[in-house]
Amino acid sequence: MIPTLPATTPAIQRKAALTKLSRHRLLASPAGLAGTLWLAAMITASLTAPWWLPFQTEDQDFTAVLSGPTATHWLGTDELGRDILSRIFASAAETLGTSFIAVVVGVGLGTLLALAAASSQRGEGVISRVTEVMMSLPGTVIILAVIGAVGTNIPLIMAILGVLISAGIYRVMLGQAKSLQNQLYVDAAKVDGLGPLAISARHVLPGLATTIVVQSALIFAVGLLIQAGLAFIGFGPPLPQPSWGGMIQSASQHVYDAPWLMVPTGVVLALTVLSANAIGNALGKGPNDTASHLPSAAIRRKRAGQAVAAAAAAPAVGNPPAAGKLSVRGLSVGVDGGTPLVTDVSFDVEPGIVLGLVGESGCGKTMTALSLMGLLPSGVAVTGGQILWNGKNLAAATDKDMESIRGRDVALISQEPMRALDPMFTVGYQLTSAIRRLRSMGKAAASAEALSLLEKVGIVDAKRILKTYPHQISGGMAQRVAIALALSGRPRLLVADEPTTALDVTVQAEILSLLRSLVKDTGMSVVMVTHDLGVVADICDQVAVMYAGQVVENGATASILDDPRHPYTLALLAADPHANSGHDMPERLATIKGQVPQPKDWPGGCRFAARCQFAGSACLVPVPLLPTGTGVGLVRCVKADELATEGLAWVATDVPSDLSPELGVPAEVPARHRLDIIEKDMA
Amino acid sequence: MAMFVTKRLLMALATVLVVAVLAFLLVHAMPGSPGAVSLGAGASQDAIDQLNQTLGWNDPLLVQFFRWLGEAAQGNFGNSLVDGRSISSDLANRLPVTASLAAGATVLSALFGIVLGVTAAVRGGFLDQLIGGFVGLLVALPAFWIGVIFVYLFAVQSTVFPATGYVPFEVSPRDWAMSLALPVITLAVGGAAFIARQTRASMLEALQQEHIRTLRATATPTWKILYVHALRYASLPIVAGIALQFIGLFGGSVIAEQLFAMPGLGQAVQTSVSTHDAPAVQGVVVIATVVVVAVNLVLELATKFLDPKLRAS
Repeated sequence: MIPTLPATTPAIQRKAALTKLSRHRLLASPAGLAGTLWLAAMITASLTAPWWLPFQTEDQDFTAVLSGPTATHWLGTDELGRDILSRIFASAAETLGTSFIAVVVGVGLGTLLALAAASSQRGEGVISRVTEVMMSLPGTVIILAVIGAVGTNIPLIMAILGVLISAGIYRVMLGQAKSLQNQLYVDAAKVDGLGPLAISARHVLPGLATTIVVQSALIFAVGLLIQAGLAFIGFGPPLPQPSWGGMIQSASQHVYDAPWLMVPTGVVLALTVLSANAIGNALGKGPNDTASHLPSAAIRRKRAGQAVAAAAAAPAVGNPPAAGKLSVRGLSVGVDGGTPLVTDVSFDVEPGIVLGLVGESGCGKTMTALSLMGLLPSGVAVTGGQILWNGKNLAAATDKDMESIRGRDVALISQEPMRALDPMFTVGYQLTSAIRRLRSMGKAAASAEALSLLEKVGIVDAKRILKTYPHQISGGMAQRVAIALALSGRPRLLVADEPTTALDVTVQAEILSLLRSLVKDTGMSVVMVTHDLGVVADICDQVAVMYAGQVVENGATASILDDPRHPYTLALLAADPHANSGHDMPERLATIKGQVPQPKDWPGGCRFAARCQFAGSACLVPVPLLPTGTGVGLVRCVKADELATEGLAWVATDVPSDLSPELGVPAEVPARHRLDIIEKDMA
Repeated sequence: MAMFVTKRLLMALATVLVVAVLAFLLVHAMPGSPGAVSLGAGASQDAIDQLNQTLGWNDPLLVQFFRWLGEAAQGNFGNSLVDGRSISSDLANRLPVTASLAAGATVLSALFGIVLGVTAAVRGGFLDQLIGGFVGLLVALPAFWIGVIFVYLFAVQSTVFPATGYVPFEVSPRDWAMSLALPVITLAVGGAAFIARQTRASMLEALQQEHIRTLRATATPTWKILYVHALRYASLPIVAGIALQFIGLFGGSVIAEQLFAMPGLGQAVQTSVSTHDAPAVQGVVVIATVVVVAVNLVLELATKFLDPKLRAS
């Protein structure tokens, strides 16, 4: 339901439509815009050709044979004195039109095949086999054989080209059609009794629209080129009818005495093909295809410059922390465009200590952890603050500097072990090459070390595992390998990004106990990112609770789990089934209404206020991270002391949707917001 | 693996068979009977009928098909209707020409395409845009147009290369290479652009994989991440792209053969189609398909070999 808007004047609507149009991907790209304009001009010019062409295609001007551009013949003349401009545009409509036949047949058939294959497993098997055969055929030879049988019937030949091309279109579309077919709403539609045809037409086809347009543009270009090529080797429309390929062929006969003749037709053909390709590319470009884990050289150079500038701008380190201690001071991380993802995060990790970074998804935990290694994805960067390690500020270090720290000082374990290992190389190769690099060992010594590392992480048949590829081992095994890989440089700090989340529950416990014993044996410290309070209770000495890019509570694990001060921590504990087991298990678990706000929607005041049961007007101003009343930890809540003295707990009931004033919801909540909530509840 | 190879071999055989049927039917749909084609315009109807009878044109279609297939399986495609030469030996002479062209162009386009694509993906920024624009232009320029321009530049303006003609390798390896240069470069231009695009996209996709982060986390030098790990990961789609390129070039060389007067398979298709020389068309279609399917099979097995997951299964 959309709230009624005041009536807008047509002028404003027109303007809005125009802005929307100019933001469209096609018109936003200069090449796409130029291509659209050229193609539109070509189509208009070719359709209106009979009315404006200066000459008939067969008019011969014997005073100007093989002439260059003149006032009479703008693009020159051919060997019979025929006007090039007139001949190009007289044949344009047919060339463009017949190429479109290849598009309709090729894209149409390809899409139909993809729809059919997506809706039935058996159909997919057959269709995929057939298209594979089609794709491995020498297409040009077959088209020529067809010409032998049917003559130079261009529309028919273009249709057959379309059939041959449809196999490629099918390949492109199948994946997308299948993923659309597997959407939950499609399952729901099936349960509702919608037939396969209706599902394909109503739910799958619309999702393919962009791909269809992109492929159409690209195939249109292919059709033009093939058609011109055929005419070039003598299989064009019957003479004396002009065609672009035929004109280039006759021009090629005069490349010795009139090279100009090659230019006009070639340029028009190339520009038309270029335009169709540009349209296809502009539409087909994904919105975010740059999330690379190794940014391009150009971006790395830019970053290195920023790092130098940041280092110059950063204040000198007062008293550098002791060796082996990590000290993060006021760290901010943001998207290059300016949206902050993490703001003013500070924490310390003493040697041998395990710090947990806890919070829901989207709180900036992983970004904080990756910034410790200088491994933020491309497009995201540290925008302020310091990461102090061994007297160095890692936040302002160049990639070169970081290379001497990564693996040797700070190591990483990531969430999905299967994806963290290179699928193309054996476990042994990955492990030994890391050991050789990080420990400057010879080949034999590194192999022996790899074996002992695998045994150290609890792998029994280490010898066999060394020879396997990542896809041949289980997730738990892969995580052990990933841990061994992280240990290969004997790091003093381990960054573990949800190391157990993707694993089975029993394997989770094993990996946690492995990490615990490694910390005890090696004395390294760990920054453990997790959303699981059970993991925190199990392994962490210190906890920093994060919400919407901030640390909201920070302290020793025992004191935070037993005596949480921040409402968000209270809520997380109240919502955790494991923390509420045993005799004091409530009848129903508490929930936290709503979601973590998107970074662009962060309010100026307390970022949790909109979901907080205790929020009041005091929460509308920015809240600092202050020592708790007991002085054990830090908390970012104006009401923390009040809540502690009154002993208030997070209530296991929903906050009523009318946001009753007793609960202290700020009166400044915009009326629109309330309306939305009410409407949603009614819907 | 053996199972896989057997299955693929059977598929390849089926493909060739399907094309054989198609070629046979198409040729029978050609205008005019073989007798009329062979004897030319001046021949009497009686003579034409008589020749058609000897050629077996009046037998049932199925009988004709199996007779032709049986001969073709033994490598005999009959004689040309136009000049009576043996089609098999003619094609045997032509095959090396087209094979040299297609293989040369494929190697050249793979070389340049991979270098351009990797550079664009790895360097990024302005260089990426520059290469992108250049590649876009090359894709749009028709091969025959580029070929004519090359002839103009390198054979007319300066006589570095011969404009037309083919010199067999046995006659003079140097002249062979020189005679191939222009047609190979002509065909490679579009191919290189195609492979450059494929390579750039595959490299960017490889760099988005999470294991790249692990490699960086263990201080792997950038060159090794790019040229050992990412390129290895990207190699599968790149090789598939090269295979497609070869298939396209093998048939698509007809334009270059025509332009540079190379006596290859493409030229054979073109002339036999123009002269309605039915057995020649059949022969060349089948031979081209056999070669393309065989190369495709080899490259497909190569792709499987590159992927540890498929190799193990």
